[in-house]
Amino acid sequence: MELTGDILIGAPREKVWAGLNDPEILTRCIPGCEAMEATSPTERTARVAVKIGPVRARFVGHVRMEDIRPNEGCVLRFQGSGGAAGMAKGHSNVDLTDEAGGTRLSYTAQAAIGGKLGQVGGRMIDAASKQMADQFFTAFNEQMVGVPVTEVAESAPAEAASPATAAAPAPFVPRTVHAPQPAASGEGVRVLWFVLGSLSTGFGVWIASLLTV
Amino acid sequence: MADLYPIKLTVNGKPHQCSVQPRTHLVDFLRDDLGLKGSHLGCEHGVCGACTVELNGQIVRGCLTLAVQADGGTVQTIEGVSASGVIRDLQDAFVRRNALQCGFCTSGMLMAAKELVEQMPHANRAEVREWISGNYCRCTGYHAIVDAICDVLQQRKEATA
Amino acid sequence: MKAAAFDYVKPASIDQVIALLQEHGDDARLLAGGQTLMATLNMRLSEPQLVVDITGIESLRGISVQGPVLRIGALATHTDIEFSPLVARHAPLLKAAAPHIAHRAIRNSGTFGGSIAYADPAAEWPTCLLALGGTVVARGPKGERRIAADDFFTGLYSTALQPDELLTACEIPLAGADHWFGFSELARRHGDYAIVGMAATARREGDALHGLRIVLLGVDATPVRARQTETLLEARALDMATVTQAVASLRSEIDPLPDLTNTPDTKRHLAGVLLHRMLPTAATATTATA
Repeated sequence: MELTGDILIGAPREKVWAGLNDPEILTRCIPGCEAMEATSPTERTARVAVKIGPVRARFVGHVRMEDIRPNEGCVLRFQGSGGAAGMAKGHSNVDLTDEAGGTRLSYTAQAAIGGKLGQVGGRMIDAASKQMADQFFTAFNEQMVGVPVTEVAESAPAEAASPATAAAPAPFVPRTVHAPQPAASGEGVRVLWFVLGSLSTGFGVWIASLLTV
Repeated sequence: MADLYPIKLTVNGKPHQCSVQPRTHLVDFLRDDLGLKGSHLGCEHGVCGACTVELNGQIVRGCLTLAVQADGGTVQTIEGVSASGVIRDLQDAFVRRNALQCGFCTSGMLMAAKELVEQMPHANRAEVREWISGNYCRCTGYHAIVDAICDVLQQRKEATA
Repeated sequence: MKAAAFDYVKPASIDQVIALLQEHGDDARLLAGGQTLMATLNMRLSEPQLVVDITGIESLRGISVQGPVLRIGALATHTDIEFSPLVARHAPLLKAAAPHIAHRAIRNSGTFGGSIAYADPAAEWPTCLLALGGTVVARGPKGERRIAADDFFTGLYSTALQPDELLTACEIPLAGADHWFGFSELARRHGDYAIVGMAATARREGDALHGLRIVLLGVDATPVRARQTETLLEARALDMATVTQAVASLRSEIDPLPDLTNTPDTKRHLAGVLLHRMLPTAATATTATA
């Protein structure tokens, strides 16, 4: 499975980088992400509940980050297991570039799917990967430009911010409140990679699950 | 989690009253609870056809049917349709045409063929092939099976002519 | 492989089903024909706590004419549809598509409602419903609502149904005397998931088609309407030049996703082939099936 895509995030590159380094933001953005922990300084494990069609599968993904270029990009190597359902292995690249309106985030991911999931074939791999990526990046962009606040007594705009609007911070209250983490190498970067890795691994297991039915 | 669910059904003409786990599919019930080993399990996800049995007068994938769904229903397996003689000509044709080797697919093939010859008595070879393509065979290469079914279609046509 | 253990209940009414869906949410799965659910459970790709068998609800059964529409109950099986005289008369597209669905044993159990709710982009019924401009009837805690097919299929295996709603029936406008339809599907073996397929309907006036709906299966995450090509063909005489233009338009307007054995270009090419074979039949006959 090969996946490429890009999205314009309505925020400056440093802010996007910081957001991608924020474990809480990332956990909220990965559809079905339940838990995330460090297994070593450069590795992470996440548990993601996959839900598509009638399939409900839990998989555990491991990610190792490499080639970190702060504020610019990185490479992730990942593998995931969906138990009896099968496994996925691959890598992904993420790059950030400045663009009018914010930051262009480009990604590629390649995964090989095995086990029961892989056996049924790649019929839905690309469609499912694309959908999962769309969900992640839509959620991530909402985190970057802010989402409508549903609690009472907040004075935020009622409608959802559109991705293409102002790069400058708008008068809204973000759903999560975090101090941006340092952009240099370290915890945040690894989390980012880990998340992207899990994401990609997620696709694999996910997609595969679809193929069986 | 509830343990057992009571069901009442008729299998090969005999009434049965049993208790089953909801998750038990029909063929596991027939094989393990009733000792009717003629129906087989290949893929257990509906593609190979080895599990084909008749439920309420129609062939179904026994592996995709829960035993609890047969509650109040009527099941015919290869044992039943064989004992009643309704597929005698099919069985003879299969033997004559060497349409079985290991025999694993054969019960499913016969159940599927039975419904074909009853529902499409004028089927041509292409239609027979399309119909029986829902049952997999690893041994024969299929032609002998198609030949056997076509023989029976011909015989039944001549008998009613 | 065997399914994991679950509880089982067989409600007698739609209200009971809705109550169960509200109570159990995603821990419950609805069982109709089971041809998709059982395969999923047997392979342990899902382990629900509760299976809600809806096959005991009589009001979900049946095929009937209700005023200007053909009502197909959620529990109508593929075989029921294949041999229904009402379907043959009022929605012949469905009769033409039915034999392409898997094999007879599966058609005897699988249901129309299940197929629509599952919304597999390579399945026949969602594409046909879209080509017929049908409507989904759903019932939830707030009552009954109707959802047009154009608004129903929202993404991969995703529909406009809410988690606490049950698809109870589909309604299809009765075919008029000028009804034209076509259905065609390409698969490596009979019963396989299609590489690409096409369902089309229109009104025939002279040698031109009006109000075309051309829908493709197997090319994207949902069934895809070829609106650009529909517009191009509107009210145009179907000579070879027009057909050639339409085929080119179709190939330019779709953006197919690949699958394991077929590239986007293969699907793009084959979609054009299907249209090329289907359109000329409108000029000479009322139907096209392949």
